[in-house]
Amino acid sequence: VRCQQYPPLRALQASAALRGASDEHKKEPWASSSQQHFESPPAGHQPEEKPQGPHPSYTGQGGQESEDYESEEQLQHRILTAALEFVPEHGWTAEAIAEGAKTLGLSVAAAGLFHSDGSELILHFVSECNTKLSELLKKEQKLVQLGEAEKKPVDEFLRDAVEARLRMLIPYIEKWPQALSILLLPRNIPSSLTLLTNMIDDIWHYAGDQSTDFNWYTRRAVLTAIYNTTELVMMQDSSPGFEDTWRFLENRVADAMTMSNTATQVQSTGEAVVQGLMGAAVTVSNAGTSRAVR
Amino acid sequence: VYQVFENVAKKYDVMNDSMTLGIHRVWKDILVHKMNPCPGILLLDVAGGTGDIAFRFINYVRSVRQRQLQRKLKHHQNLSWQEIFESYQNDKFNNSLGDSQVVVCDINREMLKVGKQKAQHLGYSEGLSWVLGNAEELPFDDDKFDVYTIAFGIRNVTRIDLALQEAYRVLKPGGRFLCLEFSHVSNPLLSRLYDLYSFQVIPVLGEVIAGDWRSYQYLVESIRQFPPQEELKAMIEDAGFFKVDYENLNFGIVAIHSGFKL
Repeated sequence: VRCQQYPPLRALQASAALRGASDEHKKEPWASSSQQHFESPPAGHQPEEKPQGPHPSYTGQGGQESEDYESEEQLQHRILTAALEFVPEHGWTAEAIAEGAKTLGLSVAAAGLFHSDGSELILHFVSECNTKLSELLKKEQKLVQLGEAEKKPVDEFLRDAVEARLRMLIPYIEKWPQALSILLLPRNIPSSLTLLTNMIDDIWHYAGDQSTDFNWYTRRAVLTAIYNTTELVMMQDSSPGFEDTWRFLENRVADAMTMSNTATQVQSTGEAVVQGLMGAAVTVSNAGTSRAVR
Repeated sequence: VYQVFENVAKKYDVMNDSMTLGIHRVWKDILVHKMNPCPGILLLDVAGGTGDIAFRFINYVRSVRQRQLQRKLKHHQNLSWQEIFESYQNDKFNNSLGDSQVVVCDINREMLKVGKQKAQHLGYSEGLSWVLGNAEELPFDDDKFDVYTIAFGIRNVTRIDLALQEAYRVLKPGGRFLCLEFSHVSNPLLSRLYDLYSFQVIPVLGEVIAGDWRSYQYLVESIRQFPPQEELKAMIEDAGFFKVDYENLNFGIVAIHSGFKL
């Protein structure tokens, strides 16, 4: 369901959302506002003045001082990172967050800082994976620039990038279907969509995509489709080392390459056809006028 | 304040039901749901008198525990006999509450007595303690509790700031403060209806059911004098709590304030 909906319609809407993120556009007011909402936990430039300064009588408390010097968002970030370790056992739930908080020396009640369905934990994880992918791609690019590595052809690049990103799911693969369903909740769709499109954009950027024309949309739609379908295949894959998934990925990327070639061929054929028609039309009208003259 | 509640103790629950038309049960359910406790949590319920919050907490923890045990059993179907035997020796299996505990603290002995009777009557035996104490000066050590709740009690405290400071003191780092209390209705139409109901109907009910008009008159007046949502939020922040926010129930007739000791 998800892979069918995303490529044609959502990718366009999402790219529109990204482009117009600064101005409130009519169709999706929720996209930009929730984008803001999501950014507040990790980013932390929300102007909430919390009494970070000296509390009247409690600055003396031993363990508290370390918390006073970091913002709430940073602490939430740390709790979520610690909670990831407990996901294989407890799933993407408030329980995992509670266990994570416990390892940091906080009471389990600190899980109340987040939603009780674990959405923030999943979004945090996805965002972390995307960041890791970005860094990986940047490192590779640097190697190419320094001449220490060969520049990969586009299809191989895409294949490797998607494979690297999907491999990050392997430790959590059992509970990942649960996470996907939570990401599809209406409340979470704006945030998860933004993360997805940002990641796809990133991959294309490092693949050397310079286009700003119509192809920009198709490229993103195509890669989003490849990513989503491969992810779903991976959920059901029981082959050793997920080889079935990687083979599926290879085939999809190959399909996409041939499709784009076909598209250009179709385009040039189309142009040729149009020219032929124009020529025919001119000839007919000339013949007509000449006959009329005669 | 002490005498008001002495008179009121026995008829407390009945009066609550009739005054709020039973909605107070829903409010308390929402409070415990918001808390979302997992087994192992230590709760301090201040001004918890007749034990409403405590009982709901125990029920919630019991059902969460049930689900946990079911999941464990499902997992166990793949284990060998040796592993199952070893896990049965693990103490946690036998504890239906998973080591959770509630301490109900109240300044009024009568309220505690009614609470204890209710607990016995309803069959709550484990995980409950009843302690006599003053919210402004709690008889507990620092950093003890995971959650501190005060439902419909904080408006009866003379120095709210002291109560908040005590709450901060006894909570563990990461602990949560939850306060359920009558608050201000911002909607003007609703506010007028509410005033009408409060001043005309409630004291009459008090006279008829509990034979005590004055206490309920006091109750309604104390609600009006209590600081509104934003002011209470500021006071909670002053005590040192972080991520303080509130949720209005029924358009502001009641509000749940929540804060964390971080």
